[in-house]
Amino acid sequence: MQRRKKYDKTKICVRCKDAQGNIVIRHTVYCKNCFTPLLIHKFRRVLEPTVNPKPDGPRRTALKPAGNLVIGFSGGLGSSVLLDLVHRCYVALDKSTMPTEGGRDHPRHERVWKKVTVCYVEVCDAFPGMDDRTDEIARFVSRYDELDFVPLRIQHAFDRTWWERIGRSTSFSDIGVDLADESLLIEPLSQTHPDPLTALRTYLSSLPTPTAIHSSIQALTRVLLLHTALQTGSSHLVLGTSLTSLAVSLISGVAQGAGFNVREESMEEWTPDPETRPAPDTVPDDGTEGARKSKEARRTVRIVRPLRDIGMKECATWAWWSHIPVVGKEKWVWPGAKPGIGTLTKDFILGLEQDYPSTVSTVVRTCGKLAPKGEVAGKCILCGRPAQRGVQEWKARISIRSQPPPPPSDSDSTDAPATPAPVVPESKANTRPSLTPYLCYPCHTTLTSRSARPVPSPWPDTAHSSVAPLPVWTEARLGTHANVGVSVADEEEIAVAKKMDQEEMKGIVNEFLCIIRS
Amino acid sequence: MPPRTCALCNDARAILKRPKTGQQICKECFFYVFETEVHNTITEARLFKPGDRVAIGASGGKDSTVLAHVMKTLNERYKYGLELFLLSIDEGITGYRDDSLETVKRNQQQYDMPLKILSYDELYGWTMDAIVAQIGKKNNCTFCGVFRRQALDRGAAILNVDHIVTGHNADDIAETVLMNIMRGDIARLGRCTSICTQGEDTIKRSKPFKYAYEKEIVMYAYFKKLDYFSTECIYSPDAYRGHARAFLKDLEAARPSAIIDIIHSGEAFEINDDVKATQKLQQTCRRCGYMSSNELCKACTLLEGLERGMPTAAVTDRARRKLDADGPVPENLRTIPLFQLPSNLRQNAATAVEATS
Ligand code: SF4
Ligand SMILES: [Zn+2]
Ligand SMILES: [Zn+2]
Repeated sequence: MQRRKKYDKTKICVRCKDAQGNIVIRHTVYCKNCFTPLLIHKFRRVLEPTVNPKPDGPRRTALKPAGNLVIGFSGGLGSSVLLDLVHRCYVALDKSTMPTEGGRDHPRHERVWKKVTVCYVEVCDAFPGMDDRTDEIARFVSRYDELDFVPLRIQHAFDRTWWERIGRSTSFSDIGVDLADESLLIEPLSQTHPDPLTALRTYLSSLPTPTAIHSSIQALTRVLLLHTALQTGSSHLVLGTSLTSLAVSLISGVAQGAGFNVREESMEEWTPDPETRPAPDTVPDDGTEGARKSKEARRTVRIVRPLRDIGMKECATWAWWSHIPVVGKEKWVWPGAKPGIGTLTKDFILGLEQDYPSTVSTVVRTCGKLAPKGEVAGKCILCGRPAQRGVQEWKARISIRSQPPPPPSDSDSTDAPATPAPVVPESKANTRPSLTPYLCYPCHTTLTSRSARPVPSPWPDTAHSSVAPLPVWTEARLGTHANVGVSVADEEEIAVAKKMDQEEMKGIVNEFLCIIRS
Repeated sequence: MPPRTCALCNDARAILKRPKTGQQICKECFFYVFETEVHNTITEARLFKPGDRVAIGASGGKDSTVLAHVMKTLNERYKYGLELFLLSIDEGITGYRDDSLETVKRNQQQYDMPLKILSYDELYGWTMDAIVAQIGKKNNCTFCGVFRRQALDRGAAILNVDHIVTGHNADDIAETVLMNIMRGDIARLGRCTSICTQGEDTIKRSKPFKYAYEKEIVMYAYFKKLDYFSTECIYSPDAYRGHARAFLKDLEAARPSAIIDIIHSGEAFEINDDVKATQKLQQTCRRCGYMSSNELCKACTLLEGLERGMPTAAVTDRARRKLDADGPVPENLRTIPLFQLPSNLRQNAATAVEATS
């Protein structure tokens, strides 16, 4: 790793070899005129191969997505640039952004997504003293025509009326999890249907670390956006993750045990749980051909990060030259809070990038060469990402948390010297229902891993109940496992879903329902 | 606060908070879970079979001293049936290695294990002191690392053992995972979390402490009153690794499980098939017979650079080209003695070749 000069040889733009450069991107100099097509090219190059249901299929002639588009908007730099680019390229059909090949009648010069929705999730209620920016965001979005705007709030994740509004059944009982104990027992909530804001704050206050609070809010936001995508009949959800923020989230994910999901950080496909999926006719039908063709495809939402080859500096330059009034994001802090893993990683990577300017691209490139190892055990009930099989056995073997059996005495010094000691004592295969078998490694770590010292809660005055409420989708999936009232068409999928992890948790839900009923 | 009882035995008084789990436990339970976790690591990976001759890479520092102690304890407790040796490398660093080797010599007595010391000087004709005098303090750890790796294998061959265990702990491995991602070293990233490296016909290298926290190793040594040497090398490690280490410490402070979580991440991914296909095949160095991914192994290249006064030859490609342009290898160039596998492995290797031919 050697420190280098900021730019390689000359200050003349490498593309037109004529104009004086205005920006240096990783040692290469560009002028303003050449920067625009370069950025648009990088943006299209990532997004377009993912548009058709069959990725990388023949798309010389047509981009035909299976549904509509949702832009996940945070108000930050990346998502502002993303919104601007999507609008220019696919809504306003700005001529200057068009690929030159194919001429004016090129089918690419048509609307690609019939409907484009901007979804903003306001998180201000999660932190004390944070301003509500929904109106400002709404004004920002209204600068662009023909976009739908869906403002949500983070507490919708705990809101049954929202869940109903997006066409889901709410016939499940109020259940929560005991976050005070590592075994994450599922318990009935003391209060029925707590109001969403209280539920959110109780949940956040019960989490063991600032890292857990940040990661949980990110995960809740992501799932809210996904359900919005489903509700708007969208096949694609685009996020404004830049190269820089992708590198940060990759490292931060690795530091939180999410190595199995490295791939999902840059590209993922999500389907709703078969048990909680809305009835097919509640999905709005806009008559797109692709949508009619495949019912299955429209239940799948593809998350794409079209800015993932574009660094933060390039985003900032684009925003500046295009006069985009970026609203910005507030820091997620509260009195006494120490920075979490996400914040530490961001500071570290940005600092390193100063001295070693290829850090972020190296991180992203390296992680792009990785594939998950081992079997998928199903989908995590909290974050919806694929969960690796066997993580609990791994954890138990590597960090012993209950008294292990004594060593063999001399008398039983027979053969087989190298048998491992049973890592989980029998009694731990406990009969009470727990959330643990439904969780992926990073989510389990989020809920159970503690700081060395106690952490101040963002809401110290929130009534402390040991049982924290769960997000609606988690409650719904736990609650409907037992009610096997599924249509025949869905049965096969249920069977597949069951095979995932259900052997291990057989009967858990039934038993747990008995507890609640009794 | 009233004295707490141990979270594990619920009996004795808790006297320490375990860095890895945050549990408050008693001293005896700490020893026992620490050792049992290492035992789990060993048995889960089926590292040994009865009768194996195993060398412990011993530096006199805390990691390898605790490793020697725990290996001896587990070997007796669970009847692994291993023959254990201490193997030390003398890099030739005055004021550091000379003192730490005294500790290793005492460990030899304390643990009653045969000890072999092999020096850079006798193997390469250069001490680290001499290398630093020539190249300065910039790439010294590159030289030292490459030379140590080969020296350990050669020492193992002399002891006729086919397995070396080293004291790399969880912190080291987590740090290496982060470094390899940030430097884009995909080949190393793919193998750095595996407990045991090397194939059938080479000397095995494994890390029984891969899940053991550095802090717990220190605690173990402290409570067991083990005799170890705690001074850092006088030629401080490179700046980049220093950044990674500081970052890891911050992560650990934010959430102590971060170290184990990073290792879990490293185990949960692998290099995808397209990339695997482009990786270089292993060959043997044409000059010294050691395994290598190029015609010349790293150590021979570095040594040639040192001998010819162009020490950065193996560090940068440009310098290597300059070295090549500078003319052919001089006749009288000092080289490393020919490498030979221990006798039992030589047989394996021969059969392997037959079988594939
Ligand atoms: S710090 Fe560097 S020079 Fe010192 S012993 Fe370690 S590798 Fe060798
Ligand atoms: Zn999860
Ligand atoms: Zn105890």
